[in-house]
Amino acid sequence: MILEIEANVSRPNGFHLIVEEKWSAHATGIAGPSGGGKTTLLNCITGSERGARVIVDGEDWSEWSMQERKIGYVTQDPLLFPHMTVKENLLYSPRASSIGPIAEMLRIDHLLERRPANLSGGEKRRVALGRAIASQPRLLVLDEPFTGLDEILRREAMSVLHSIKQWSGVPMILVSHLADEIVGLTDWTIRLENGSVSKRGPSESVLNETETRIDNYFSGIILEPGLVRCGPCDLKVILPHDADGPVRLACYANDILLSKKPPDEISARNVIPTKIKLIHGFEKITLVDLEAPSLRVLVTREANRDLDLVTGMSIYAIIKASSIVYLGPAEN
Amino acid sequence: MNSIQLSLSVGFAATLLTLPLAILAAWFLEKTDSKARPILQILITLPLVLPPVVIGYLLLALFSPSGKVGSTLQWLGAPVAFHWLGAVVSAAVVGFPLFVTSISLSMREIDARLERISASLGASRLQTFFRITLPLAWPGILSGAALAFARGLGEFGATIILAGRIPGQTETIPLAIYAELDSPGGETKIAWLVFASIAICVILILVSRIFQGLHKRKMESES
Repeated sequence: MILEIEANVSRPNGFHLIVEEKWSAHATGIAGPSGGGKTTLLNCITGSERGARVIVDGEDWSEWSMQERKIGYVTQDPLLFPHMTVKENLLYSPRASSIGPIAEMLRIDHLLERRPANLSGGEKRRVALGRAIASQPRLLVLDEPFTGLDEILRREAMSVLHSIKQWSGVPMILVSHLADEIVGLTDWTIRLENGSVSKRGPSESVLNETETRIDNYFSGIILEPGLVRCGPCDLKVILPHDADGPVRLACYANDILLSKKPPDEISARNVIPTKIKLIHGFEKITLVDLEAPSLRVLVTREANRDLDLVTGMSIYAIIKASSIVYLGPAEN
Repeated sequence: MNSIQLSLSVGFAATLLTLPLAILAAWFLEKTDSKARPILQILITLPLVLPPVVIGYLLLALFSPSGKVGSTLQWLGAPVAFHWLGAVVSAAVVGFPLFVTSISLSMREIDARLERISASLGASRLQTFFRITLPLAWPGILSGAALAFARGLGEFGATIILAGRIPGQTETIPLAIYAELDSPGGETKIAWLVFASIAICVILILVSRIFQGLHKRKMESES
């Protein structure tokens, strides 16, 4: 999706947003501190703030209403229709037809007959996301969709969004002040500060040193209590005692260590011999993609320099069992 | 028809007659940004503050058989003045402000973002109204209907001026009580009428409560 936007918005309180950007991305992140103009820019794109020039894939959206733009809008507050069941919510849009695959993808297929009052926070977000996707939007706009969820639920919701993003193919704009959401889910990011763009580029490059949490999502099958087979390797994981069968897991990129030699006598339970697939070097950090298991590792520039990492190199990935988080059961 | 049956039928007719209008007025007041809203607000509040006799007089002026509106209605076979319909119109007018206010309050409570989300999902304004606004305003519509019904039931001043006191046609409970005050031995009848009024109102409150409870349970229920 190629997006071109020219926005010039003034508020009575002195806030001024001036943005003139053109970029091409399947998933775009809008990052930056609160009050920087993230939501205002988003409103220009959705059409609830009029007057901005918005061109999407060569088509001029500027004069279109929110309905005409066909935007699937998901906010921090799930805003489900309280008098309708999950199924009725999902089917609400006149454009919605089959919801089966969406419900399955979002793991809400067992909740279809419930009403929002009986859903957990994470479930509500998934239903809101499903309702937006079922309306067959041309663009999915997510305004801090995971804020307020606890850590595990947030990572779980992110992993679900990650898979639905690939499954549905709908272009997406994600607003977030959390770097792991931006980096994990988008490929191009605009950073807004004081109403103007302070940084732009591939999402990882816009990261600050302090914002280094990038999540890896993967799944596996429990072989025995505490042991999960993930592709070619078996990982020791701390699992809830009732977990069984296929499971979804997550591990932060900065929780994985790299070693050129096999370490001996180490407390970490997982030492995996693998190869480096790709290295992305940025201003402050380096991201290393491993071949098998397919994981992304974050190291500092200094570490990259000292280890002299190169693509194709054999390496040992070291992960503590406690760094791998159980997100929930997966489908077979 | 005795005056209790008459009062009930007048109350029901008045409530049903004003239901769509009250919903429309409340929606206009709460969900649009029309400049005419303050004027409408004043017009709607007026019957609440005007003396009922004044309301009756104004209605009579409007519906008088010698006037245009009155004569046309008479020609159509629906005379309002000194007719059962007059009692209905009086009850409707005095109950209307309560009806609208109650619906307005419940419409105001609806998160406006729900209606925006509905629009973003592709629903038209009309679809949003019928599928989101109206079902969520249901408790207010119910309590408004109960209030309007009860208010109409007790209407005296406007009714006696517009509809007169015609036994079996326009002599509702309050008018019957007034008539019995003058007649010797009317105390027993008055006692019955008072008891009936209280009973009707209690039942009204109970029914309204039950419906509201059902609505609440539906919103919280599993399915």
